[in-house]
Amino acid sequence: MVYCLCTEGAHWRRTLHRVYTSEPGSTMNKALGRQLKKYRIFYLMFLPVAVYFIIFSYYPFLRGLIMSFQENRLLGNRPFVGLANYKFVLKDSNFLSAVTNSLIIGIWDMVLYFFFSLGFALILNELVQRTVKQTIQTIAYIPYLFSWAVIGGIWVLIFDLQGLVNQFLSIIFGTEPIFFLANPAFARPLIIAMGIWRSMGYFALLFTVAIMNIEGQLYEAARIDGASRLMQIRKIILPSLIPTMKTIIVLLSIGVLTHFDEIYVMVNPANRRLISTLLLFVYETGILNFQTGTASAGATLVMAGTLLITGLMRKFIGYDKE
Amino acid sequence: MKNRLSKKDNLPLAMRVLNILVLVLVVVLMGLPMLNVLAVSLSTQAKSDSPGLVLLPTPPTFEGYTFIWKHTNLPRPFFNTVYVSVVGTVLHVLMASLAGYILCQNKLPFRKAMTTFILLTMTVPYELTMIGIYAVNRDLGLTNTYAGLILNGMVSGFSVFLMRNYFQAIPLSLAESARIDGSGEWRIFSSIYLRLSVSGLMTIGTLELIRRWNNITMTITLISDMKKWTLPVVLRYILFDQTSTSGTSYIFANAKMAAVVMTALPLVVLYFFTQSFFSSGIMIGSVKE
Repeated sequence: MVYCLCTEGAHWRRTLHRVYTSEPGSTMNKALGRQLKKYRIFYLMFLPVAVYFIIFSYYPFLRGLIMSFQENRLLGNRPFVGLANYKFVLKDSNFLSAVTNSLIIGIWDMVLYFFFSLGFALILNELVQRTVKQTIQTIAYIPYLFSWAVIGGIWVLIFDLQGLVNQFLSIIFGTEPIFFLANPAFARPLIIAMGIWRSMGYFALLFTVAIMNIEGQLYEAARIDGASRLMQIRKIILPSLIPTMKTIIVLLSIGVLTHFDEIYVMVNPANRRLISTLLLFVYETGILNFQTGTASAGATLVMAGTLLITGLMRKFIGYDKE
Repeated sequence: MKNRLSKKDNLPLAMRVLNILVLVLVVVLMGLPMLNVLAVSLSTQAKSDSPGLVLLPTPPTFEGYTFIWKHTNLPRPFFNTVYVSVVGTVLHVLMASLAGYILCQNKLPFRKAMTTFILLTMTVPYELTMIGIYAVNRDLGLTNTYAGLILNGMVSGFSVFLMRNYFQAIPLSLAESARIDGSGEWRIFSSIYLRLSVSGLMTIGTLELIRRWNNITMTITLISDMKKWTLPVVLRYILFDQTSTSGTSYIFANAKMAAVVMTALPLVVLYFFTQSFFSSGIMIGSVKE
């Protein structure tokens, strides 16, 4: 899912270099011309895809970047205002509290998604009965098919005053019903729990696929050497999972600052201060209040932050060293 | 898959018991909330709003479903979602396989440049460019239109590379001999490549359908007209904004949960039909460059 950019880039540069440095009319250029003609149909087929990406991917990116240096206006000409939007946003208390919320929710989610799904995959793998294993896997995977609005609905029901969670708490601990959804102390934990509930089965499936790909002979050899099952998990399964772990960590680190849907669904006056994330700030400022300059500046900072986090994580886990 | 064939060693008894307890806990934590929602949605209005845990509806009734279907005009967002998701997914699969086919032509000049061109679009999550997306779509007259929802996300780098990986498994000699026989590229693409990668097409199709059905970000970015909202956005509105719905009566828990089930169920059904493609899709999708 995550591809190494650098090798592709290097090749591209080499190709361009070859094309531009060859003399006009040289055999190299003629050969290239013939090749291009021969493959014309492919370029024609590629055209709709290229046009799509330019209009709906590259251009919006540039457009947002440009807008971040312009006055807050959607229509008419927008005078450039230099770094004013960035200065404004960095002093805006809403933006700053969104930074804190995003980091807290994002980092907890990243860490817990990783360990919960890894642990679940390892535990599930120890089951011998195949049907039981698959049934449990399916039950754990199903929430990943749900929209965040659906999960919001489930949360509203089970964390209600008379809901599942309060019923259990009162039976087991005899506690008074807690109104979780309006209690600031539970605002962030509830959001983080939503994410784990939805995504654990999915990431566990990624690990399970990797575990299934381990050569059976490795276990065979370990058994001959008298290694216990626990030893086999430590010395065979975990090391074999390292590439998958790295891929998942990179995927998760891209997502640290991009929590949005679940926040949009769950935000209310009681928890807003604690769970309003950066993307909710961007959405509300730019799309709802038309402060496009401020919002784009915020979004650009989030992009820079994501690049920084992903870069640091890649370096930390040695992702680019193969 | 191979380790399943050989007899597995077992953990010490204490750990095995602990293992099973943890799995039971996981099943309860994942399963009970879903069961709870389903049971409440099938309960009567009175029962769903009175204290007490509902895990089995006795007797089951579709009261909540009929109420929410009629009172909140749910058919409209339901069919909006079906329309946008299905049309968008068909186009997505076509475009992604087309691009995948081009990227697996290993003698094509500038192929690497084209690959990089698509790879770069995967580096920035689209949510981060929502202001730019809104501005561009507004200029194109695509805000508040179904076309806007369909066109945005019509192809993605992820699907392109997944298809390319599928296509790379098809021997090049097959296409070569078809070319010698005088088949055009469109023919080779449609009658050899597409036909031999049905499971790949199903994988990206299913993933895209799920993504589109559940999408909230793009809908709320592009659509402010409530009539064109999709199910998840309307569901959030029903669940949390009902105080501001003027004129509608109080929505009881059974009706709310009926809306939740109606949003979620189509995808669960789809999942059971296409389950086998998921792990294969994950395996091929995760092959690193």
